[in-house]
Amino acid sequence: MKRFGVYLSILCAVAVLLTACQSQQQNIIRIGAAGPMTGDQSKMGIDLRNSVELAVAEWNQRGGVLGKKIEMLSGDDQADPKQAVSVANKFINQKAAAVVGHWNSSCSIPTSKYYDDANMVMISPATTNPQFTLQGFKKVFRVCGTDDQQGRIAAAFVLKTLRPKRIAVIHDKTAYGQGLADFFQKALGNGAEVVYYGGIVQRDPDYKAVLTAIKEKRPDVYFFGGIYPEAGRLVRQAKEVGLSIPMITGDGVYDPTFVNIAGKAAEGTYVTFGKDAAGLTTARSFNEKYKKVYGEPGPYSIYAYDAANIILTAIKETGTTDGAKVADYIAKNTFPGAFGDISFDKNGDVTKAPYVVWQVKDGKFIEVK
Amino acid sequence: MFVQQLINGLALGAVYALIALGYTMVYGILHLINFAHGEVYMLGAYLGIIVMGILTIAGLPVYSLSLAIFFSILISMAFCALYGAAIERFAYRPLRTAAKLAPLISAVGVSIILQNVVMLTQGTEYKNLPPLLPSEGFAVLGANVSPVQAFILSASIVLMLILHFFVARTRLGKAMRATSQDRIMAGLLGININQVISITFLIGSSLAAAAGVMVTLYYGVVHFFMGYLAGIKAFTAAVLGGIGSIPGAMLGGFMLGMIENFGASYISSVYKDAFAFLVLIITLILRPSGLLGEKALDKV
Repeated sequence: MKRFGVYLSILCAVAVLLTACQSQQQNIIRIGAAGPMTGDQSKMGIDLRNSVELAVAEWNQRGGVLGKKIEMLSGDDQADPKQAVSVANKFINQKAAAVVGHWNSSCSIPTSKYYDDANMVMISPATTNPQFTLQGFKKVFRVCGTDDQQGRIAAAFVLKTLRPKRIAVIHDKTAYGQGLADFFQKALGNGAEVVYYGGIVQRDPDYKAVLTAIKEKRPDVYFFGGIYPEAGRLVRQAKEVGLSIPMITGDGVYDPTFVNIAGKAAEGTYVTFGKDAAGLTTARSFNEKYKKVYGEPGPYSIYAYDAANIILTAIKETGTTDGAKVADYIAKNTFPGAFGDISFDKNGDVTKAPYVVWQVKDGKFIEVK
Repeated sequence: MFVQQLINGLALGAVYALIALGYTMVYGILHLINFAHGEVYMLGAYLGIIVMGILTIAGLPVYSLSLAIFFSILISMAFCALYGAAIERFAYRPLRTAAKLAPLISAVGVSIILQNVVMLTQGTEYKNLPPLLPSEGFAVLGANVSPVQAFILSASIVLMLILHFFVARTRLGKAMRATSQDRIMAGLLGININQVISITFLIGSSLAAAAGVMVTLYYGVVHFFMGYLAGIKAFTAAVLGGIGSIPGAMLGGFMLGMIENFGASYISSVYKDAFAFLVLIITLILRPSGLLGEKALDKV
């Protein structure tokens, strides 16, 4: 009987807490931050969450938005589409007003339908697969470029500067990697012959078999569509099988971890990515604020910060958290971003997406002029 | 290309063979599939990277890189041998007389515990070891044999020869073979069964640890989940060679490494993992006792 009393009191305490939460809910606006926060791409998700946290903290310091405090919800999708959908459902149940995320194209595309149906605004800071904004959802935006733009710029650079006759193309079989590889191949046109095209398995430690097969085809350069852990192992093992041609790859590889994994083998790798942020005053002030709390910002930190600010500005200006109205405001207005003004086209893509080519030199990414 | 793929396959196969030995030795004596074995390999890889870090702080690689590699393998082997023996003592020995399924479930449990302990203490991201050895090696018939590959092949062959000598020629090896034939009879004849089993786990785990450190040198990345797939592939290698047979595990490991590499290069790199498991299925259908395994006789 004594036991029963204990249970009863716990139950009461829980009930009280729940009602407390319920009443608090009226005074809080929730913003989700979703990305891979555990697993081998965890750095990207954590960078994203830090940036949203920073933006939210700044808004709260200025008194929140619409007289309410802002709370950030963190959602870990482990770069796995199945997990991403459950994160989306969690955010919807918690009545989040909007979401910054997801990071991977393969997670953003399936979840966008859930957010749009739940009348939530979704802005991805890093999803570059073109399909993401072509689904006809009015509340879905991105603040980065797209893979067809990126593939075009990579292909133009390769044809103009490196002038190869034979090219090998590989990808990691994800929506992002394979999409990028295909756009690159399409943009090459008849400029060079693609002598090898194939996929690799993510997380596989050993890529020597495919690299040896590529070497046999004697290409002059090879393109990789994928993320930095795989890219690092690829260039490292390429040197070991005697394949010493440069790799060209996309924004998913733009991270110092790539150089850490590959060591000297990373030298000379070409990467397409946004313009150098360090030179811009707007970006510099973000970098300083970010460094104080979290250390060195990641490649997409600044995009996530811009995305969170756009959402909160739109909520403030429209005076509501109604997704349809907020989305409408975002679509029609121009926002100050770290790389200059951000405005969106009818699909929800940024009107200006500046990709440039970078190269690894002495362990650092240097813009190719 | 053929020679290069052969060398890649042999290096990968040597790693599988070292892990497979642990599976096969334990199965030979206890008829238990030690599913925690892949995790011991993962622990070995982590220990290798930690010891290498400590040695770097101590300044050893500046004097001699090979000495640093030697020490990190030795220390990792010693630690993991203790881990393996402790797993046997606490997770399997209390269940030795229980139903056959109980130790198997216990093994799966140990595997999950080890994975999560490492995840919580070391983090979920990849740990990197920058390339220590140069990537340009020596040319053999037009293929590049990198120093790491040469090291993995020679070191694993030395370890296998030592193991073979130990099992075939020493008193303890004889006791081990007797125990695997009939545990109760061996006990009646004065063999300390518990000691023999502990030593089996010590040896098997230290070989897995050596494989772990070698893989770290080879690929430069360790991850808390790496033991899962490597463990299953090594198990496949053990079944292919004939589980319970020591030469079988060696042969199975080398064969599996080559099948994977040739499959990935000549057929499709996307299905690299699928080839390993295709081999497992075909072996189980056509020759369940494996290439070098003996048909299991029901002991009456």
